[in-house]
Amino acid sequence: MHLIQMHLVFRRPPVDVASMAIDSYRFLDYASRQIMTAWAARQKPGVIPFTPLSRPLAACTVALISTAGIARNDDRPFDQEGERRNPWWGDASFREIPLGTTENDVRLYHMHIDPRFGESDLDVVLPMRRLTELSREGFVGRPAPTHYSLMGYILDPTELVEKTAPAVADRLRAERVDAAALVPA
Amino acid sequence: MGLVQRVLEASGISTVALSMIPDLTRAVGVPRLAGISYPFGRPLGSPHDADSQRAVLRATLEVLASASEPDTDVELPFQWPESPAKARNASKDVVRPPIVELLKMKPWLLANLYSGRIPLVEGQTA
Repeated sequence: MHLIQMHLVFRRPPVDVASMAIDSYRFLDYASRQIMTAWAARQKPGVIPFTPLSRPLAACTVALISTAGIARNDDRPFDQEGERRNPWWGDASFREIPLGTTENDVRLYHMHIDPRFGESDLDVVLPMRRLTELSREGFVGRPAPTHYSLMGYILDPTELVEKTAPAVADRLRAERVDAAALVPA
Repeated sequence: MGLVQRVLEASGISTVALSMIPDLTRAVGVPRLAGISYPFGRPLGSPHDADSQRAVLRATLEVLASASEPDTDVELPFQWPESPAKARNASKDVVRPPIVELLKMKPWLLANLYSGRIPLVEGQTA
């Protein structure tokens, strides 16, 4: 659902005046803008869950969750062949990325982004080293021992919501993670 | 991403989303949102620019500490140094994803993508 980098050629219309300061569609081409706007308009958020931070940030264990489709070289890649067979499908599984993993240990399996930025510096998409630095500064408590990656091109979120996210939540709780930052791609 | 965030939050973990499409993340309805106007593939900034990356992560995590209610929505002040055209141009040689190739052959299917009517294929979870 996240990123559909459409490369179809459309005549660019006059720029919409965004109500918010950030233009969410600034880096998207016209077709992708139209699709994203339509998807946004159909969302029905209902009651939004809220878990107050259980302790000061400086005492929290923090995990990162990236949607860049990161998999370790000794782990199973995200299934790109399945998406080639059925372009409406995306691999909704997740991968564990242990703290200390670097760009030398991973590939990005996400066909809707340019993977080269994250593969040259993993902190561009999964900032584990930056998190460790913030922990040394005392800004956060400590980085979790394990971080996670999903692959962001998921048009039908059923499996993601019913299986993948609860499985990640279980693992976060097992490692006593207090807070998580989700990082797009 | 917002849907995953909601599941984690409901299971007792405090979460914040960094988002390059804050309109969409906001529409899903998330507890804490930090919007950023950075190009896709580079949510924390340029490779090997540790100081800028750390500033983005710090600002994102600050939303965890400052939010007192759901739907907290912050716009991060960071500016990408290139124009959108230039940012996209850096990735123009990346192979196009399968859905784009499919829609080039069958452009009428764009209506499905637009409307969210995602076709299912036998034997695959979509």
